[in-house]
Amino acid sequence: MFLPFASWLHKTSISVAFQHQVAWLWPTCETLHFAGLALLLGVAGMFDLRLLGFMKRVPISVVKEFMPWALVGFTLNLLTGMIFIISEPAQYFGNPTWWLKVTFLIIAGANALVFETTYGRRAAALPVGEETPVPLKIIAGVSLVSWLGVLWAGRMLPFLGAGVGAGL
Amino acid sequence: MDAFLQKLQDSDFGVWVSSAPTLLAYPTILMLHTVGLALVVGPIAVLSLRLLGVGARMPISIFRNVFAIMWWGFLLNAATGIALFISEAAEKGEQVDFYVKLTLIALALFTATRMKRLVFAGRDDTTVDRAVPPKARSLAVASLLLWAGAITAGRLMAYLK
Repeated sequence: MFLPFASWLHKTSISVAFQHQVAWLWPTCETLHFAGLALLLGVAGMFDLRLLGFMKRVPISVVKEFMPWALVGFTLNLLTGMIFIISEPAQYFGNPTWWLKVTFLIIAGANALVFETTYGRRAAALPVGEETPVPLKIIAGVSLVSWLGVLWAGRMLPFLGAGVGAGL
Repeated sequence: MDAFLQKLQDSDFGVWVSSAPTLLAYPTILMLHTVGLALVVGPIAVLSLRLLGVGARMPISIFRNVFAIMWWGFLLNAATGIALFISEAAEKGEQVDFYVKLTLIALALFTATRMKRLVFAGRDDTTVDRAVPPKARSLAVASLLLWAGAITAGRLMAYLK
């Protein structure tokens, strides 16, 4: 179902344009993808650790002030990731490990959405030094595991379930 | 030197890393090298951003132990990096970009130790939180640029001859 889409995408002018620029575009985007990864995991990881009960003397709302930088990392990775997919769609759509990566991304996103819509305000109001409620700890745990899952699947996809192994 | 690097690459361990038919060899070692990257660069990047004024309500003293995380990440990446190097020693040992990467990492780590000494060493939490030493901002900029450079050089190892 996705492979016809992949072959259509591969023939679009934007994909062809990317394919012609692959020699510099690919390494550049990969570099940005790795820098974005460090930024996203660094900032989100710190926030998750706070929710798990580390750094209790700092209000959760203060730690959250760094979150726009996690979003910078995420946006960077979404854009560069889309460039990879658009230039070589079959390499991704045809690889089960990439779908696993997407699954982890959806879990991470849904988890963040649950936090924002249900516990975000309660977390921000949590007095300094107080033990975080279990649901918040679960959200933090799910976040850490799913982002590490994204990294794991992303790094494994050239080796696990791939026919093509560009950009090892 | 060439002969030594070739011998390294052809050693049982080198061959195991590069071509053992298991995901636990090259793929997992490479994946752990990326986890290590996040552990090293992530926390230091957050501290650098804080020193540059991001999240100004965050007490800087909270970052006192960030360097321990950085060194654990570095240990992981030194170990996985050595394994990856051995598996391709003949090629990578000839690559200028590889030595550029090592130099940038050394400079970035040196910058981190300077940062630790300037901002934290011998200063209690109240002093640390009162003000950022002006020179710490230049170190923060240097740290962000050097790690970005190290990531770039590292990524280019897969592309440059």
